[in-house]
Amino acid sequence: MDHEAAQLEKQHVHDVYESTAPYFSDLQSKAWPRVRQFLQEQKPGSLIADIGCGTGKYLKVNSQVYTLGCDYCGPLVEIARSRGCEVMVCDNLQLPFRDQGLDAIISIGVIHHFSTKQRRIRAIKEMARVLVPGGQLMIYVWAMEQKNRHFEKQDVLVPWNRALCSRLFADSSQPGRKQPCVHPERSQPYHPPCSVCSCSVCFQEQCHSQRSHSLDYEPLMAGMCCADVSKGGEEENGFSNTLGRSFRSWFFSRSLDESTLRKQIERVRPLKNTEGWAQSTISIQPSTHASLDSGPQEPFSTREQNLDEDVFVETSQKQLEWPRAPATMKHLCGDQQGEVRRNGDGNFLEGANTSENDMNAGDVEEGPPSASRILRRISALDSTDSNPEETISVEDQQPHVLDSRAFMRYYHVFREGELYGLLKEHVAELHVLTSGNDHGNWCIIAEKKDNCD
Amino acid sequence: MKLLTHNLLSSHVRGVGPRGFPLRLQATEVRINPVEFNPDFVARMIPKVEWAALLEAADTLHLVEVPKGPIEGYEHDEKFLRQMHHVLLEVDVLEGTLQCPESGRLFPINRGIPNMLLSDEETKT
Repeated sequence: MDHEAAQLEKQHVHDVYESTAPYFSDLQSKAWPRVRQFLQEQKPGSLIADIGCGTGKYLKVNSQVYTLGCDYCGPLVEIARSRGCEVMVCDNLQLPFRDQGLDAIISIGVIHHFSTKQRRIRAIKEMARVLVPGGQLMIYVWAMEQKNRHFEKQDVLVPWNRALCSRLFADSSQPGRKQPCVHPERSQPYHPPCSVCSCSVCFQEQCHSQRSHSLDYEPLMAGMCCADVSKGGEEENGFSNTLGRSFRSWFFSRSLDESTLRKQIERVRPLKNTEGWAQSTISIQPSTHASLDSGPQEPFSTREQNLDEDVFVETSQKQLEWPRAPATMKHLCGDQQGEVRRNGDGNFLEGANTSENDMNAGDVEEGPPSASRILRRISALDSTDSNPEETISVEDQQPHVLDSRAFMRYYHVFREGELYGLLKEHVAELHVLTSGNDHGNWCIIAEKKDNCD
Repeated sequence: MKLLTHNLLSSHVRGVGPRGFPLRLQATEVRINPVEFNPDFVARMIPKVEWAALLEAADTLHLVEVPKGPIEGYEHDEKFLRQMHHVLLEVDVLEGTLQCPESGRLFPINRGIPNMLLSDEETKT
């Protein structure tokens, strides 16, 4: 289970941040005033760590304290370093600090990226471990309860906000290649320290997760996708496998500790029109390319799904076509026979045309109708952004529009009281001082108790 | 990576516990970065410093004029504070390694950034 959780986080947190770091713009990431205030209130000479610092926007808030930035994402850390910050690459679950060395820690928009309750607790306990008694920890997580949006589920995949990246792809015009899809999405829902704009990048990037992505990265078109998928499919981290894992992650409505080992998984139906796929800019390629096993392939159909339970809106349900990735399904589900049944509890990525979806537009029509997009972007992207007019303009999506599923980020959005409950029940070494809501985030300040480990 | 940072770092290789501190520093590239002197800031750091680890690291880097420990009245001793300021904040290891004293595991420092990630294998229970 923990391995699956790590895999999900790798794919939908780490790889996304790593791939998109070059396109990061600090303009996009807000520095929360209350966080700044917390930092400024620390005693001069304090040793402070920002765990999940991203590009380091909080690292220079207070010149009277020593602030270390830590992030799992190398490229983001490099950016912070280039701004003159003291930073390192490390894992929240295994902080490389001696016990009781730090006076304060901030964790802004990090814990919500852990996909199981146990991992979230571990992350908090690790931070508590390295705090001195009396030291304070501030945690911000994205709230499920939003003013302008409605999350159907707590575990969600959120598409990338591409608005800021479109200029990077504006000039891609190789002969025979389609336009990069410049598909503006709504601004990011939350502004975690690592928040980055989304890019209309081919999902194929995911299959190169072991490589770092340089600024020379080029947008990949469907054609390229096709080509690479066939190569990718044979690798452990091949596109199809990666895709499969992502598919898998779509089909679970709850965090992995609740649903992973259940038998209820999505049914994936065979792809009907692979040619359509190849021509479309949907980045997901039919698994016929891949070296997956050769059972019947089924497209994923959400038609029979609980339509009111999903965060994402499906455009053309009949035409949903998903390559099957039985290998990866197996990987996650244990006894998978190459088929996934639908999770009857509703999956956080089931297609649904919910009335709460305030996203623009009708279906995106790809070239061949059978290759239309499977999912449109979801409404609940914005927790903190106060610009309701920033919605994805689906009408901008042309046939070559890249699938917004590229760079989907996983979040476990927190219910009111959940974070508090987590600390109260599982992290005895911390005493909660304050808790509240700040711009669509649940936030807590807790103190390390004396005489604790 | 500054030596003040090094002073906080510990190996988290499984099973190593407190024996993972301090990390043994080796540097192939070091830079001196001038940092504005803030005596109050430095004075407040002094009680938090793990001296043995600091001296070991400073020795590896062949630094001179490193105080061996806090001296009486250090809060007002400008010379002492400036020396500590230099050692803790101005010496920047750009390239090198940090080694777990217990397991021998090496963590790289590149472009001033230590990478403390363990591999999947190393983090498995």
